This record gives sequence, C-alpha cells and structure tokens, in this order.
Amino acid sequence: MLDRRLIQNFDWVLLLLLLFEAGISILNLYSATYPIRDLGGLEIFTKQIYWFLIGFTVFFLMTTFNYYVLERLAYPVYFFTIALLILVLIVGKVMSGSQRWLSLGPISFQPSELSKIAIVLILAKFFSERGENREYRLRDLWQPFVLTAIPCFLILKEPDLGTALFLGMISISVVLIAKVYWKSLIIFGCSFFLAAPLIWFGLKEYQQKRVLSFLSPGMDPLGAGYHINQSKIAIGSGQFWGKGFLEGTQTRLHFLPEQHTDFAFSVLAEEWGLIGSVVLLLIYLFMILWGLNIAKSSKDRFGSMVAVGIVTIVFWQVVINVGMVTGLLPVVGIPLLLFSYGGSSLISTMAAMGILMNISMRRFMFQ
Amino acid sequence: MKVKEKKWIRFRIYAVTTFFLLGFGAILARAYQLQVIERDYLRGTAENGIIGTTKLPPERGTIYDREGNELALSVQVGSVFAHPKQIKEKKKTARQLSRILGEKKTRILKLLRRDRSFVWIKRRISPILTQQMSDLKMDGIGVTTETRRYYPCREIAAHLIGFSGADNQGLEGLEKRYDDSLKGPQHRLIRMRDALGRSFSINRTDRSGRGMHHLILTIDKEIQYKAQQALKIAVKKTRARGGHCIVVNPETGEILAMAVVPEFNPNAFSKYRPDQWRNRIVTDCFEPGSTLKAFLLAASLEESVVTPLSQFHCEEGAYKVGGRVVHDTHKYGKLSVSDIIVHSSNIGAIKIGQKLGYAKFSDYLKNFGFSSKTGVDLLGERKGFIREAEKARTIDRATLFFGQGMTATSLQLTMAMAAIANGGKLMRPYVVKKIVDESGGVVKETCPKVVRRVISTRTAKRVVEVLEGVVGSEGTAPKAAIRGFRVAGKTGTSQKVDPKTKRYSNSKYVAIFVGFVPVERPKLVILALIDEPKGVAYGGLVAGPVFRDVGSWSLNHLKVNPQPDLLAVAEAKAKALVSDTPKDSGNSAKSEEVNKIAGELRLGLLPDFRGMGMREVLKRGRALGLKVSLKGSGLAVKQKPEAGSPLNAVNSVSVSFNPPG
Repeated sequence: MLDRRLIQNFDWVLLLLLLFEAGISILNLYSATYPIRDLGGLEIFTKQIYWFLIGFTVFFLMTTFNYYVLERLAYPVYFFTIALLILVLIVGKVMSGSQRWLSLGPISFQPSELSKIAIVLILAKFFSERGENREYRLRDLWQPFVLTAIPCFLILKEPDLGTALFLGMISISVVLIAKVYWKSLIIFGCSFFLAAPLIWFGLKEYQQKRVLSFLSPGMDPLGAGYHINQSKIAIGSGQFWGKGFLEGTQTRLHFLPEQHTDFAFSVLAEEWGLIGSVVLLLIYLFMILWGLNIAKSSKDRFGSMVAVGIVTIVFWQVVINVGMVTGLLPVVGIPLLLFSYGGSSLISTMAAMGILMNISMRRFMFQ
Repeated sequence: MKVKEKKWIRFRIYAVTTFFLLGFGAILARAYQLQVIERDYLRGTAENGIIGTTKLPPERGTIYDREGNELALSVQVGSVFAHPKQIKEKKKTARQLSRILGEKKTRILKLLRRDRSFVWIKRRISPILTQQMSDLKMDGIGVTTETRRYYPCREIAAHLIGFSGADNQGLEGLEKRYDDSLKGPQHRLIRMRDALGRSFSINRTDRSGRGMHHLILTIDKEIQYKAQQALKIAVKKTRARGGHCIVVNPETGEILAMAVVPEFNPNAFSKYRPDQWRNRIVTDCFEPGSTLKAFLLAASLEESVVTPLSQFHCEEGAYKVGGRVVHDTHKYGKLSVSDIIVHSSNIGAIKIGQKLGYAKFSDYLKNFGFSSKTGVDLLGERKGFIREAEKARTIDRATLFFGQGMTATSLQLTMAMAAIANGGKLMRPYVVKKIVDESGGVVKETCPKVVRRVISTRTAKRVVEVLEGVVGSEGTAPKAAIRGFRVAGKTGTSQKVDPKTKRYSNSKYVAIFVGFVPVERPKLVILALIDEPKGVAYGGLVAGPVFRDVGSWSLNHLKVNPQPDLLAVAEAKAKALVSDTPKDSGNSAKSEEVNKIAGELRLGLLPDFRGMGMREVLKRGRALGLKVSLKGSGLAVKQKPEAGSPLNAVNSVSVSFNPPG
C-alpha cells in the first residue's frame, strides 16, 4: 500500500506547517485557559492535546489510500453527512440555544464540520466528471446548487448561520474555479443582491443585531458590540511586541468572550503583538499557497479540484475568523481552524489536511 | 485538449492565489491598523477598563536646620478605604467602622452607599487604629499606609517653614516655595478589576521615580527658639498685637532665626486664621521710624556733608516745616551729629537731611535695599515704598529723614543694618543653605552674595562708633546692652497710620530696635519689633530687651567669648546702679557675686568651683563664656581643667558633683 516512492514523495513541508500550527495553538490555548485553569481550564487544555493526537492519527490514516477511492466514496460520504445532519436535528444536544452536537458516548461531534469535506468532495466529483473544457451556465449548475442547499438548509435549522454561510461560500468558490459562463455570473450576482433583503428578514433577531453591531460597533458597546470591542481592545493593546505570554490583561480578566474558541486569535494578538499575529497569518498563507501548488501539480482534475476545495476551506475560515475578531466582518461563530479549541473542527480539518497530503504524495505517480 | 485544460487550471489557480493574497492582505492590514496605528487608543481603553488608580500623597523631603535638627518631616500613617461595590452588609460594616474609628455612622454609611469602586473612609489614623483595622479583615475594607507631614518642633520656625496640605502639597512658606524640590516619589494605589468590576490586587504601589530632596536651612533651631521665646515674653508683657525678631549673620546674609508672634502650630494649621500663617517679616511693611537715622548718618558721612562732630541747633523741641510742627521727645539746643543720632532727635535729623538733600538720601536708601525686594528665598515678599523726589511735598521731604512717609519690611531693615555692620556691603539674605538628595549629595548650595557696596568701610566704621552710643547710658536703648560685648544699634518708635482716619494714630506705635554685636567683628544682626505695645512704646525700652536676651543667649550658644574688660565695666556700672537705687536692697549679695566674677575675669584665670552648687557653677561658668558639662549631683568636688588655668586657653570645663556629707 505505502510503497517506497510514496515515502519519497512525502510532503514534509505540509507536515511541518501543521506541527508548527499545532504548537502555537497549544501554547496559546494554555494562555487562554490559564485564568480558568482551576475551573476546567486545565481540562480543556489537556483535552485539546488529545484532540491533536487523534487529529494527527486521522491525518496519517487519510494518506494511506489512493485518493481515487474518495471519488467513488463522494456520494456515500455526502449522504452519510446528510443523514447525520438530520439526526442532529432530532437527537442532537442543545447547547446555548442551538442543536449542533451529536453525542457519541463521552465525546460530542458536530456533523456540520464533516459537511465541509463532503461538499468539497461531491463538487470535485461533479466537475471532474463533466466535460473537460466547458463553460457552465446557470441551468447546468442546478445540481451543485441542490447539493449545497440541502446541507446548508439543515445547518441553518440547527441554527448555525455561520457554518451555513461558510458552506455556501466554499461551494461558490469551487464553482467559480470550475469556470462559469460570464453572463451566468452576472445573473447570479444580481439575484444575490435582490435576495439580500429577503435574507435579512429571514434572520433571527440576534443575528440581525450582530450584523448591525458589525456595521457600527460603537453603537452599543456593552450590548451587541461588546464582544467585538473587547476583542479589538485586546488586539490593539498588544501593540507591536505584545504584552508577553500569560500577560494579556484582556484575556486574564475575562474581558474576551470565548477566548479559547472563536476569539483565540485575540489572545495571541494581545500577548504576542503584531509580530505574533503576522507570524500566524503567514503560516496560514504559506499553507494555502502550498495547497494551491499541490492543486496545480496534481495529475488529474479530481485531485486538483479537491485540493482547491480544501485550500478554500482554510482560506475562508482564516479570513472570516480573523476578520470577525478584528472587527472587519460581523460576528459569526466560525473558529480559526487548527487554532481554536474544538474537537470536531480539528478532526475534520486534519482529515482534510490528510487528503491534501494524499494528493500531494501521489501527484508524481502515474497509473 | 489536455494541455489546454492544464493551462486553464493554471490560470484559475493564479487567479485564486491573487484573490487569497488580497484576502490575507486585508486581514494583515487590519492587524497592523489595530496593533500599530490605533494601539495607543486601544491600550488606553484596555487599561481604563481594568486599572483604577488612586494617587497617594507624594513623599516629601525633610527640612533640617543648620545643625541637622528636623523641622519638618514625613511620617507613615494608616488610612482606611473601602470598595463600596463589594460591601453587601453596608449597615453592619458602617456600624463596625464607626465603633473603631469614632466617626459618625451616618457619614460612613453615606460613603459606603456611593456608586464608586473606591472611597477613603478615614485618612491618617493613629498607629493603634491602623493595627486594629488591619486585624479586622472586613470584606471590601482595607488599610494602606501613606505619609503625613509632621512638624516636631511645633511653632518653631512655623512662619518660615509654612506647612503642606492633606495631599502633601506645599501650601505656605518654604513648603510651598520649595514644593518641587521637596516633593518625592508619588505612590499610586493601583486597583485591577475584572470584567465584572470586582477589584482584586489592590495596594500595589508604584513609585513614580521622581527623586526627593531635603532642605538644610540656615536657621539655628536653638536661636530660633530663643528668639520666639524672648519675643513672646515681650509681646505678652507689653500686651502688644505681635512682634518680629530676626537674627542674621551680617557677613553672609544667612538668616539664623526668623520669629513672628503670634505663633501658630503647623500641625494644626487649620485652627488658625490665615493671616496668622503669614510670615510678616517679609510680607508686612511698616514705617521704620527713627531707625532710619542710622542710614541718614551713613549717607551723610559717606557724602561728607557732615562729620560726627558737626553741630546743629535742635530748636528746643519744636520745628515748623511745611506747615507742620515737628516735635522731639526731649528739648535740645545745639547737638552734635553724633548726639542727634544717640538721642534720636527728629529736628536734628531734618537739619542733617536738609544738608544731604532728599533725592540723595532716597538714592542711598535704595542702595541700602529699601523699596526693592531683598531677593530672599521666601514667598510673598513685599518691596516697601519710598516717595520719589518729584512727588514729595515739603513735609515729606522733612519727615523721611526720621523714617516717616516710607515703608519697609523688617527684613529690609535688618539687611540694611547688616550692611553697616559688615563694613558697607548689602548682602542677599537666604534661609536655604543647601538642597540635598536622598543620599545626601548636594544638589544646590546657596553661596553668600553681595548685592552691592553701599558705603565705604571707613564710613561704616564711623557710623558704628556713633551707633554704639545708642546703647550707652546716654542713648535711647541702654536696655539693649549685652554684658561683656560692645553693641551698636538704633531704636525706632513709629506711629502707625490709623486705617480709619488715614492719619497717624496717637495710640498705635511700632517699637523697633535693630542692632548688631559684637561691634569689633559683628556676628549677629538682630531686629526686634513690637507691634502696638500698650503703655510705654519706645523702641529702646520695649524692643531693646528682646535684642539683649536673644543676643546674649545666641552669643553664648555660638561660643563667642565676651571681653573680660567689658564685663568688668558692666559690673562696675551695675554696682553703681545698685547703690543708686536703694530699693533693690536684695541685690547687695548679688553685686558681691558680680564683683567676684569681674575679679576672676580681670585675673584671666579659671575659678575654683569646688563646694558650689550646680546652678552656681553653671552660672559662673557661662558668665565666663565657657561650655560647662556637669556630672553627678550635689556639690562640686572636682573640676577639669584645674582652677587657675588661664581662661583664654579654656573653652569648656567639666565639673563632677557628689552629694554633701
């Protein structure tokens, strides 16, 4: 199964980037949970280490088979995910007003995380099966649309607007890469803007508030804009060199909301300053560029589509999360991948990275 | 087809890469914006959110006298504060606090109900209370230490030093004038609070890093004390409103004492009226009266318009000038210049003055430092006033010569007299000798400064010869004479202007004596001023004794030896006085004793103290200008050096005592 050439082609750069990322993440998590370490903070910290170990195991498992298998498995994976998403709406654990978790014994799992990979695989399969060099018109795209809409709808029902939108964005990104007829693009764009007011009224009140507070965060500093203001204060007060490890006052004194999950980046930025933020973001950027390089040199269309899809996941997650904590985008519950605390997200990301590694290892092989 | 396909994928990937780079560019730019451009604002906001500070009063440097005695220092005291937001049982807490601190319960409760995260409950409590409070450990109540200004010598030099307020800021006197130097490190009470506004970590004080300086004054605490005592006694005796006494070293301009009565205690300054805080020696102007004749003499001699022997007719005590009649206290016919000064004849002074001229005299007065600030390092100094020649009416032109129609501060008058004493140099007076830092290194040292030469040394000497007569039995101030020393000076008794009538009052006077000692080489210039004495108001009688007491005591303190031959003369005089006044019959024994001392002095040998009581030994020894140290109690049995040692080789003597029998 793993022959010598595979070992030779092992993508050390990608692995190194992941290890580096995991290291920073664990260090930062230690700091973020430090003030509550007697109140379960230490548990969170050790748990994440285990998640990383499991994550890397999944990562290596994903490299053991030829990714062609995934093309065949795309539909089963997709339907399996849909089934889980339906299941979560029926028997899912309700946490802070939303039903996103499936309990599997001692551990909980978010099926919506799995849906990101599923959607990438299914779209990659769809576009690689279709003609080599054709431009897609809107009527050709009904299938991808439906394939995306189903999980989106189910996730919206949980409700988890952030992940639903995120899924839509990945889908749109992949479709755009797959070459869309320019007229269709315009029609698509126009209809999106027409739909915007409808979407607005479809939003729940707390979601509307978030959007409003994004548009003017100073409006209600202790209400809806509170999180984002505190986060901005944390990041800004880190200044150039940062306040030092475990020295972040915003973090230390619980001013930051969700500091070990969604706002983990703020903790890093406060304690390590601009230097820390730039280093972290450059690692992500390098990871993305490396992923694109893998896509470019992949020997078949499915491989490169999957690689592009995974890179898109990374890109949007980083941009949305960092954009959110820096006040550039509205608050949506998207964690920073490989960095925020959270098992499901980490496992699914590591799985995606494993697939990327798989493609990278096999790009020089000819059947 | 395959190639085209590959190309397309490449193109798309480049497009995607560009897009991704743009996305990352945006978030990196945002991070830069927050962490570099808006950082100060955001860090400020972060600190405002979590840190509350309460400034504690800064520490303050010590003020020492010239011998290193502490005149003002800072002591550590406790202060009680509360975090009202953390106190649940406000009533109970208030009751407990009021029991311990002795404050009204309602007042404390009001403080605890304020919507603040920090309030002072009571500041500067006693050490015992501090201990009690810190033992108590109540929720939301804490004790911290802060410094408090303390003046261990109470009234001593209070007017000079001034005081500082509740936040250790200098409010009056040197405390205010040298506030910047004295102000030391500022401690801050830093309260960190979490997102819910709960304080944690309090009392982390932070030094602001500024250095603290100490002042070393030219003041001699002992002389200052003596000056205040003597002045207080004189003021009480004459039922006067108040008085000034200044002691200055004429060679340097150092102020050794600066006493103002009524006194106040700077530890409780708020209990006194603000006008009692004023250092009237520099802030209040008065008419110097006849004391000015000393400077008239100096100017006239310097200009050679008269000699001490020139004769003037004193018009038998009434002289019409400018439509007014000027009187003398005694009627005089022809008097020499010297006698005019000694007897303080106003008419004689006018006659001398007319030879000198008004303009010339006022120029001399200005040179002597009148009508301009002395430049002393004290706050609120006034200039005084001399009428310009063009504006002076005929009467003004006459009265200036005996010190009416112009004003001066006590300090100006003292410094002008110091100029005569030291041979003609006007010195700049000063009270701060040195400013030192915490490790004792000198930051600033004041050096004696000659403002200008006013008269020649020769003239000064001739003026002094005349002024010595003032203290003689013929002069106006025999009571200012100090036994064993040659003294020179001038009296003054000036009428005050009644603020209601704007005319010279017939009942309100200022009695002044300003002089120096010893004449040969003056060590001290002393001014004594009694404001509105009741009854006899003559400067020589009222202020003279203050000069004498302060002078003789200070000379002894400074170990200036009296001249034996002068002492003998003094004793002879005293004896004559005793025999002249038989009602002082009890004094015959005393005069015998006096004779004995005079005899010893004539011999110039150390007397035999054996068999004497302690009091007697002390008295006799001091009269000889010796420093006496006593051991044991009872009667003297042993002395060192031995009796009969030459006096000029002995500075101090130690005497042992044993109980008799």
